[in-house]
Amino acid sequence: MRHFRTLLAHELRSALLSWNTWAAAGLFLALMGGIHFFALLESSRVAGDRTPNEISLWFFWLPLLCVLPLLTMRSFAEERRSGTLSALLTTPASTAAVVWAKFLSSWIIWVVFWLLFTLFPLLTQQRLGTPGDARLSDPAALWGGLCFIAVSGLMHVAIGILCSCVTRSAALAALLAFISLLALTAAGGALDSLPIESWEWLGWLTEPAAHLRTFAHLQDFTSGIVDSRPLVLYGTGTLLCLGLAILAVEGQE
Amino acid sequence: MNEAAPTPEAAVVAERLTKRYGSLTAIEDLSFSVAPGEIVGFLGPNGAGKSTTMRILSGTMSGTSGRAAIWGVSVALDPSGAKHHMAYMPENNPLPEDLRVEEYLTLRARLKDVDPKRVGERVDKVMEDCDLTRRAAGRLIGQLSKGFRQRVGIADALLAEPKVVILDEPTIGLDPHQILGIRDLIRSLRGKMAVLISSHILHEVEQVCDKVVIINRGRLVAQGRTEDLRRELLPGCSFTIVSRATQAALQAACAGMDPAAVVSLTASIEGQNTYRVSLPAGSAAREVLAGGLIAAGIPLREIAEEKFGLEDIFLAATRRTPGENRRP
Repeated sequence: MRHFRTLLAHELRSALLSWNTWAAAGLFLALMGGIHFFALLESSRVAGDRTPNEISLWFFWLPLLCVLPLLTMRSFAEERRSGTLSALLTTPASTAAVVWAKFLSSWIIWVVFWLLFTLFPLLTQQRLGTPGDARLSDPAALWGGLCFIAVSGLMHVAIGILCSCVTRSAALAALLAFISLLALTAAGGALDSLPIESWEWLGWLTEPAAHLRTFAHLQDFTSGIVDSRPLVLYGTGTLLCLGLAILAVEGQE
Repeated sequence: MNEAAPTPEAAVVAERLTKRYGSLTAIEDLSFSVAPGEIVGFLGPNGAGKSTTMRILSGTMSGTSGRAAIWGVSVALDPSGAKHHMAYMPENNPLPEDLRVEEYLTLRARLKDVDPKRVGERVDKVMEDCDLTRRAAGRLIGQLSKGFRQRVGIADALLAEPKVVILDEPTIGLDPHQILGIRDLIRSLRGKMAVLISSHILHEVEQVCDKVVIINRGRLVAQGRTEDLRRELLPGCSFTIVSRATQAALQAACAGMDPAAVVSLTASIEGQNTYRVSLPAGSAAREVLAGGLIAAGIPLREIAEEKFGLEDIFLAATRRTPGENRRP
């Protein structure tokens, strides 16, 4: 635990001093700022069910695919390439402590990015909103959506970390993470669009497919519905990915 | 650190270590030991398996079979326990470029379980010992010269006062001044820590080490004190003689003292010939050669017994490697 705390502090410090983190932060804010701006325009033009925050958060997949791989790609790939990972593992610190420290630091930064996003609706409400009308800031949808991103982010970050463990190239790690996250995010929708029920031999997929509906999970969270099944999915997914990451690091010779 | 641990007979034990990569055997049945406080040179040609052995001993790689132990703790069964007693500086000494020397050493001290109250003191001490305090302490590692980077690596190895230090090519790429500094530093560890050091600079190893372990093609070919190996591997002796005498005359004079003596001409400059006279092990002629040659009327300008260095021992040892066709 002592090693974990030392490593986590080191990872957070390194991330804050890295140009990579600041570039990712800039990209994230530019993306989400643009999305929120167009969500506001859209809401002002067409009367609809969804508030600007709900529209903005629905686009969470865009920074997930474009920004998150940038955060996780260097975590192990760069250290493997430079050889500093081997040097780190000559200390009594365990592989698990190293993996968890890198994972948690990336997750914290990911959550901080999304906390920065809250500035957009809060500033909009302050500048353009009318007192007593919270539609522009829509705190329920905002914080519900952020809870979803924090919970699902555990697994998403763990996937990025795992991808970084299996290669020495940061670019390849980012590409692997992009593909994996794209597959995971699109899987529920893709399975939904297939007539699985009518294919007898694929009938068993109906139930698992129901658990993979990422956008349905987001909808639940923004509506204030806390279902334990997504929590179990993201929790076990996180543990599985980190377990595999530990094995991948230990298996490197 | 680990003051209470009892002193084992051997600080490092490699027992029938074998490492295979598919059909390629990197090391096979390698056995040797390093006593506490001893400095041992680990030698072998490129690709002999030195780095593989060191990585197995340091716990960063697992062996296919055999046993490796550091201060009595099995590296395979208790890697964390073994790492508490050991520091390893890998070849090329990878360091994070974006940390300052002092920050890096502080981080490493914490990871190596140095008492939190003593972290600052230990960092200052190793930086002083490795001559980093004045010129490198506050600098980014990425901006340091090769020599200073090597010093940072060695400072890191000494941080937690380990019982065993494993250094893979610590003087590679250094200039003679830097090599001298690192040699003195390693020499100062004698009696305090067991040091296993690999190097291609045989002269350095001879100067610093109590004992050498020589491997070739993944197999142990010799181990022991340099003097013992010299006797074992190079039992004869050779003399360099500078004389105006002909080779035939010199051969005849030497044969008179020992019929097995071999004379070879190595150089001839302005009428002065340089010969090499080789005598077999235990030859009585060794003690009387100069007098015998003068008595035989050979004009001597110079005569000196050649001293076999570690280089000769290394060449002799690596020539006798068993299982030459083992590798694909």
